[in-house]
Amino acid sequence: MKIKEMKIKEREVSLLITSVVVGLLIAVQSRAFTDVSTVFGRDTRADAFRELQILKKSNEKLEDEISDLQSQLSKANDQEQSLKGIRDEIQKYQILTGRTDVSGPGLRVTLNGNVQDIWLTDMTNELLSAGAEAISINNIRLIDVTNGFDTIPNGEIVLNGSILKAPYVFEAIGDKTTLKAAIEQPQGILQRMSQNLTGVDVKVEEKDLVSMEKVL
Amino acid sequence: MKLSESSFRTQVVFVATGVFIGLLISTQVRSSVPSGSYPSDELAIQKDLIKSFLDDQSLLKSKIVALRDEISKTQDSSKNLGDEKLIESLNDLKKDVGLETAKGDGVEVSLNDGVLVKRDEADTIDQSLIHAADLRDLVNVLRSARAEAIAINDQRILSTTSITSVGNTILVNNFHLLPPFNVVAIGDPELISQRLTDPTALPDLLKRFKSNSIQFSFSVKNNLVAPIYNGDFSVKYIKATNSPA
Repeated sequence: MKIKEMKIKEREVSLLITSVVVGLLIAVQSRAFTDVSTVFGRDTRADAFRELQILKKSNEKLEDEISDLQSQLSKANDQEQSLKGIRDEIQKYQILTGRTDVSGPGLRVTLNGNVQDIWLTDMTNELLSAGAEAISINNIRLIDVTNGFDTIPNGEIVLNGSILKAPYVFEAIGDKTTLKAAIEQPQGILQRMSQNLTGVDVKVEEKDLVSMEKVL
Repeated sequence: MKLSESSFRTQVVFVATGVFIGLLISTQVRSSVPSGSYPSDELAIQKDLIKSFLDDQSLLKSKIVALRDEISKTQDSSKNLGDEKLIESLNDLKKDVGLETAKGDGVEVSLNDGVLVKRDEADTIDQSLIHAADLRDLVNVLRSARAEAIAINDQRILSTTSITSVGNTILVNNFHLLPPFNVVAIGDPELISQRLTDPTALPDLLKRFKSNSIQFSFSVKNNLVAPIYNGDFSVKYIKATNSPA
């Protein structure tokens, strides 16, 4: 009789444990279903406060640009300075369009593992949004004509005709502290990636000097 | 007989309780800190502030376009200094940097939220909304199809353009954009159309289009126009490392 009772108890305990596990599995499964569409996990759910911050900062930048342009205009009107003004402008656009080697302080982000192209798009976007002035991935500087990730049927990512292989090394020129803070913020790109991807090693390094070769 | 019936009942209760506990544990693990809710008057003030920032932004952007135009005209009129070649290369660079209206054949893409959804009231993860990530993916595909110039609702897309969202608001070049999104891509119409119809290129968007969650269409068009870039260029940290040729 006692043995029988013990057996029943044992069975009940194992049943309980199994059921708890089943419950956990159901929950995990239903969660996996909602995650099928990754597009919804890719943008921050920020609030109006953040929106105000972004707008304030972007208006400040526009005001800076206006004062730059005003000084450019006065140079253009001044016979002695107009040539220098034109040369400065040419140099600025050469820097922006990848026609000259460039360097500056910045950030290096290394992603090692199986990463889909959407995350490369999003990482690029996040760095730009945080004020990156130039970005390269595995030494390919992103400008208008090199941009655009493509995934070929075997799953490899192609950029500007070259196959990109892990580790994916992003280098960005800009304010390194701001760039680092932006990607590491709560609900930022790194956190969203870790929620959606497994087995990806991430390394973030602030750099005093990041260099990029000219593209054109 | 009676004993086994009661033990069966116990077992059912056990299983049910176990599953319930499992679900509870997982909910507990998943739940995060509740987000704060603002009183409605505070929300109204924020909305007003955002609107005033946006008004300022439009004004600043039109000032920038006017100033750039004035500089160009002044430079062109002082060509007699023997710097014609210099002006010529400057103008070529302006074209590449997005400071000239781009015109040509290409593809026009139209993207819109689902017919029944209200963006203001919808949850941020609503399937029927067009998300910033959708626009990023679309721009990525257009770029990989070698589009020469891209604009979304008249905002020129450069290699330094960020497309982000704050809640349900989409920001392109930090400029607020609302659906419908009219995306102009100037380039080889055939190549671009081919990429857009490739089921592997925009899987998420196509899936939601097929289930009628969102609206998506595109057509080949002649004489498309991508307007001039009206934002700032940031070159505070970047420097040329050798003198340009």
